[in-house]
Amino acid sequence: MDQVFPAGVPIRCAVEGDPAAAGGAPPVLLLHGFGSNHEMNWVRTGWPAALEGRATIAPDLRGHGGSGKPYEDDAYTPERIADDVVHVLDAVGAGRVDVVAYSMGSRNAWELALRHPDRVRRLVLAGFGPNDPFAGADLHALERDDSPFGKLYRVAGTLPGNDLEALAACARGQASRPFTPDPVPGAPILFAAGERDAVAEDVEELAERCGAGVVRIPKRDHATAVSARALKEAVLDFLAVEEPAGSGGS
Amino acid sequence: MTETTERTFTLPDLGEGLVEATVLEWLAAPGDAIERNAPLVELETTKSAVEIPSPHGGTVARLHAAEGEVVQVGAPLVTFVVEVPAGEGGAGAQSGIVGRVPTEEEPPRRRVRLRPPEE
Repeated sequence: MDQVFPAGVPIRCAVEGDPAAAGGAPPVLLLHGFGSNHEMNWVRTGWPAALEGRATIAPDLRGHGGSGKPYEDDAYTPERIADDVVHVLDAVGAGRVDVVAYSMGSRNAWELALRHPDRVRRLVLAGFGPNDPFAGADLHALERDDSPFGKLYRVAGTLPGNDLEALAACARGQASRPFTPDPVPGAPILFAAGERDAVAEDVEELAERCGAGVVRIPKRDHATAVSARALKEAVLDFLAVEEPAGSGGS
Repeated sequence: MTETTERTFTLPDLGEGLVEATVLEWLAAPGDAIERNAPLVELETTKSAVEIPSPHGGTVARLHAAEGEVVQVGAPLVTFVVEVPAGEGGAGAQSGIVGRVPTEEEPPRRRVRLRPPEE
């Protein structure tokens, strides 16, 4: 089911199961990466089947998929995206969720967990690392930029439904708030990435700083780790761990 | 009465004008029993990775491409041995859009109606 929720910018969101149901494991919020959408990042890669039994909430982030695509850079700061996500959680009646995020989705999941700690039980940050994903990129001339991000931007431009002007604004809005590993969100974190994922370089250092684990997926890179069975199994294990008594999980 | 027959699944049209894909990882091996819609194989295209569900329930007979190998759309990917009602064997290969299987009923997915956002 796809629904559009008014949150300043309309957000399309796929919901499976009942995220408002009381008891049992919390719903899983899935946050996709730059230039992708919930369908491509999560559905086509087999996540609904892997997460069967859990309610899932999978928005298209603003600028992406079926959601609104403003052209102003400051519409795409991590705080704006985190606010969209909270609007979606409110609209579907979800309280506290487990977040599984990929790439740019992870940057914004980090923001969500910092700004709204009461909404995040656990955090899986996949395809993500502490280094600047826009390093070397001219974000005002992406159509002829030869940095790794510039190349990713042009691949994204070939995907149906993508609006390059909105994606460029998104990149600039995200880049206006460089990631810093301090403070660290309070929710338990799992980092995961393909062992050949250049975007996730030095994730081990970030994980150590956060007191979190890292799962590296053999033989996979940034584009191919997301569908890996090894990633799904690691995520399911992390989300299934019992909470220590008195930790306040509900 | 049932009999068994072979069904070969060819690489379906993955959309976006793509004509080939690389096998990333098989999620089933020859001799494995597999349910329809269970994860079968992960593929990489120039644009993304996808997991293909099994179009049939049955036994995996043969894989036609090794991991790392490039497969063209329409080329054989895997052959199954499936049970069919007597007299209906040999219906031939079937293929379809990713995630969709032309015959048999779609299993119902649990869905809810959402309240409007004001409360």
